Amino acid sequence: MIIYYNHKLKSRDKVIKMLKTLKDIVRKSSIHVCIVNCGGCNGCDVELVACLSPRYDLEQYGIYVHNNPREADVILVTGAVTEQWRENLRRIYAKAPEPKVVVAVGNCPQSGDVFAQEGGRVLAPVSDFIPVDAAIPGCPPRPSEILEAVLAVAPGAIAAKGRAQDKCE
Amino acid sequence: MILPIGPIHPGLKEPLRLKLQTQGEKVIKAEIDYGYVHRGIEKIMEGKTWQKCIYLAERICGICSYEHTQTFAETIELISGAQAPSRAQHLRVITNELDRIQSHLLANSTFYKTMDHETLFMQVLDLREYAMDAIELLTGNRVNMGWNVVGGVRMDAEQKHLDAILGKIAHIENNLDNHVALFEEGPILALRTKGVGVMTREEAIKGHAVGPIGRASGLKHDYRQDHHTYKDYFDFNPIWRKEGDNFARTMNRYDEIRQSIDLIKDAINNIPQGNIRVPVEVKSGYGEWRGEAPRGEVTYMIETNGNLIKRISIRTPSIMNIDSCARYMLKDVATVADAVTTYASADPCIACAERVAITDINTGKSVTKDFFEVNNSNLSNFEVE
Repeated sequence: MIIYYNHKLKSRDKVIKMLKTLKDIVRKSSIHVCIVNCGGCNGCDVELVACLSPRYDLEQYGIYVHNNPREADVILVTGAVTEQWRENLRRIYAKAPEPKVVVAVGNCPQSGDVFAQEGGRVLAPVSDFIPVDAAIPGCPPRPSEILEAVLAVAPGAIAAKGRAQDKCE
Repeated sequence: MILPIGPIHPGLKEPLRLKLQTQGEKVIKAEIDYGYVHRGIEKIMEGKTWQKCIYLAERICGICSYEHTQTFAETIELISGAQAPSRAQHLRVITNELDRIQSHLLANSTFYKTMDHETLFMQVLDLREYAMDAIELLTGNRVNMGWNVVGGVRMDAEQKHLDAILGKIAHIENNLDNHVALFEEGPILALRTKGVGVMTREEAIKGHAVGPIGRASGLKHDYRQDHHTYKDYFDFNPIWRKEGDNFARTMNRYDEIRQSIDLIKDAINNIPQGNIRVPVEVKSGYGEWRGEAPRGEVTYMIETNGNLIKRISIRTPSIMNIDSCARYMLKDVATVADAVTTYASADPCIACAERVAITDINTGKSVTKDFFEVNNSNLSNFEVE
């Protein structure tokens, strides 16, 4: 797309407005995901891998599982937080560029599930460590539920956060 | 140069730190750091009834969750002197083998993913969904099934569901050969896999490798051949290979999938009618029982006191497999890219493998046992590794 740039003030405003709508569309339709297992049983991670399979096909919605926090728009957190993740989780959250959305997958990040008992070494919930935007209950949630929730929350939240960030700048 | 990989890395599904000591591209030595998913399950289980523990046993590992509940239930049955009825034993075999199929297909597809072969990754992952459908038809859930209880299984299976499972299994059987042929006969895939990450039989014995990893290196050991259900009702022989490289490990898993398909067909066609569950009164005592999970042998050692569990110790296959992978397979791998595929071919499962060791800072000795017996709260003297 070629954008004609005019030095007159009126048309310049128009161009900026257009650029912002473009940014919105791009943010909504290309989402990079990083999966962080901070001490779960693997069940949720397996279901997240199942989302990649041709039956559910995450990538047709513009979601790409990259597993690199430095490029992530969405951080999917699974598992009750263990001792070793106390600092690492904050560090990984800080590494992700703005705007970012955190989705907690499964019961563990919300309540600790069966591990939050006497003798268990977990520090759930995850929201004590990083801000959580959405949570999907289930032990583990089905791949279709994960997909539905991520699609319902992530594009809108990323675009809204991005717009808020643009205003600040 | 030391190259750290993980804990969050595109090639790994689970958090773990791989430290590769490299000379140029060649890997000389590998070290593995655990400790990211230790939750203290054995400690939580103490002083609880089996009804509360079997959920925890299931959540030790999400991929082979089924075998943990079966071994747990069979250990309690052993202590109490009970045995599940033959229909329940057949249903257990069907679920166990379905779980093995989905786990092996997942392991192989992850291996292709680390090898950057997207086509096979997608096709094998699609095939796995049929096994997941069959599990859901039988038990009502995809991953954590809640299917086993002490004395049998929770629900009976209807004949129409068993027939539907046969249909799903037939689909896997018909399509598996295409994928295996693509892998087996592809010249580039063979270059990437044959002779890479070799573990000899002697090294496998030294590293205590179990499951498909040990069997691919020539250890003809499968606990199913000693299990009473397989002895009584089925004709079972372990599958093994000699080469011990990445190719052998992947092919061994494919062969085991074919064997599991035959076992499921056999079990469904010859399933007896009758009870699915017997009441069991839990007695005091000590029991040790094993089961063959998709990744190898699982051992449960349980001491009960009346109705309650006094002490439980679980030995999972991944501990030995990951350790032998780091010591023997990753040693002398030609490139770093091959090191990641070799690691994936060992089918690691970190969630099972987490243990805690406590050392006294002053003396440098391990005091894990004393620590748990005394259970004192004075943590300042101890360093958790």
